[in-house]
Amino acid sequence: MPGNAPHFRTPNFRSWTAIVLHRPHADADALLRQLERLGISGRQVWPELTPEDAAASVIFFDADMGYDGQFPWEPGAAPIPLIALLGSETPGRVEWAMRQGASAHLRKPLGSGGAFSALMIAVRTFAAQRALEGEVAELRSRLARRSAVARALVLLMTSEKIDEATALQRLREIAMSARQSVEDAADALIASKTDRNDKDDSRSRA
Amino acid sequence: MTTRTYPVGILYSTSGPYAALGSDALDGALMALAEINEDDSFPFSLRAEVGDPEGSIERYAPIADTLLRSRDLRHLVGCITSWSRKEVIPVIEKRGSLLWYPCPYEGFEANDHVIYTGACPNQHIVPLFAHVLPRYGVNAYLVGSNYIWGWETNRIARELLADCNGSVLGDRYLPIGSVDVERIIEEIRQKKPDFVLNNLIGPSSYAFLAAYHQLGLDDPDFLPARRPVVSCNVTEAELDMIGEAGIGHLSTAIYFESLDTAANRAFLARTRQRLGQARRVSSFFASSWLSVRLLAEAIREAGSDEPEAVQAFVTSRSFSGPLGEVQVDRRTNHTALTPHLGRIAAGGRFEIVESAPSAVSPDPYLVDFNPAELSARVMRPNLRVIS
Repeated sequence: MPGNAPHFRTPNFRSWTAIVLHRPHADADALLRQLERLGISGRQVWPELTPEDAAASVIFFDADMGYDGQFPWEPGAAPIPLIALLGSETPGRVEWAMRQGASAHLRKPLGSGGAFSALMIAVRTFAAQRALEGEVAELRSRLARRSAVARALVLLMTSEKIDEATALQRLREIAMSARQSVEDAADALIASKTDRNDKDDSRSRA
Repeated sequence: MTTRTYPVGILYSTSGPYAALGSDALDGALMALAEINEDDSFPFSLRAEVGDPEGSIERYAPIADTLLRSRDLRHLVGCITSWSRKEVIPVIEKRGSLLWYPCPYEGFEANDHVIYTGACPNQHIVPLFAHVLPRYGVNAYLVGSNYIWGWETNRIARELLADCNGSVLGDRYLPIGSVDVERIIEEIRQKKPDFVLNNLIGPSSYAFLAAYHQLGLDDPDFLPARRPVVSCNVTEAELDMIGEAGIGHLSTAIYFESLDTAANRAFLARTRQRLGQARRVSSFFASSWLSVRLLAEAIREAGSDEPEAVQAFVTSRSFSGPLGEVQVDRRTNHTALTPHLGRIAAGGRFEIVESAPSAVSPDPYLVDFNPAELSARVMRPNLRVIS
């Protein structure tokens, strides 16, 4: 994107690279022509992608002849946006394309249009999906660590003889002063208490 | 020996809300056709098959289909609005023919079956703003007819303005044909924009300009020299309808009648000889004329009106004429054209205040457009000179 023009948001795909994963065919040619008009350098590849192909900005893949194992990553784990090229609309093929993680699709036969809107939708959907996945992972991790927080609260309540609300307040203060999440602070607290207990245990055993 | 005759479909609405543009474009196409038929250097003649959808969107596809099906037609010149072009394209694609579309439009299309001889955004709104923003200011009011042309041109305008630290003080749309402009005028009176971008078409545009003119008479703060109405689609074809309300306002176009070149003087002389001394010529007339002219030259060269051969020829060389040097780009099927900026003067003409130094390559997807270049130009204070 040209620099220093923060408000000009008209999508510009200039100097992007695209892989067209499709056997040599008029559809692949039509797509490459569309990409050229958008300033994208495209390359037709078949049948398999190499890891270097993943350095492209986007991949258009044939959903009609496509098969598992064409991509150098697990289905659904593509690091870049994928756009399916659909000829057959049979549920099996659409399902397969979705399993690869297609963020948009183009219907075959390909003519003079469609690539620009598919790119816009795919790029936006891919980014939104990524952001959402990150958020879900974060929430899942916090959910998984709730028992640790509860344990830390009990430790604080018993060691400092305070009620639950005060213990929570206390844990938040500890987290804030250590610039940690509440969950990390809880883990550290549990570790330090357990550590001390271990030492106490070993001393008493000696 | 009888010479070969090639039919050419011409599809313009000569009634309805944009009749003035349609009629002008039709005349341009017909004049080119007549010139070719009278010119011995063309070893064939062209026969016009004219269809008139009368401004009704539902009629474009059926009329185009009938023309292409029944008359062995391979070329259709026509359409004013993008809305109608989108209706005609599937028919054209199905029959493998070629549409010659002569109007300024909002871009983001490059169909293999269309030759675009009108301006796309980097040839209209971008040069218009490059002229207007440094001179009048960056706070604009946007009006348009309620369809893709107004929406998309105003969207680009909004982004350009934001990049120049400007603002959009209002963004209003009227249904095509509506003359209900009072509320818009009242809002403009209150908000005092530096200029108004007018993407209204037909009677809406005339009513708006008339009401804005009245506003200027009531309050000199709204005179065109202070706060002009600028447009990418007001041309000579409509100046009679607009009358003195238009004087002083600005338009961008890839052709103005007042272009002072030998080729244009000759073109105007020929036009007036055919259509009368009082005849005005607009960019719609000129681009439509150009479309038929390019088609005929291609047929002469290829020896056939086969669309692929015609397309290969027109995209392989440049042509010089009343629109200056033009060249259809092989990659996008759009035409390199020279944008001009005109100020409406008395007597139904434009006074040209700025011209691009040469033809500007078409960039329908704004791929090569650098918005930072425009904003740097607009915001550099030493360029803030009133012309």
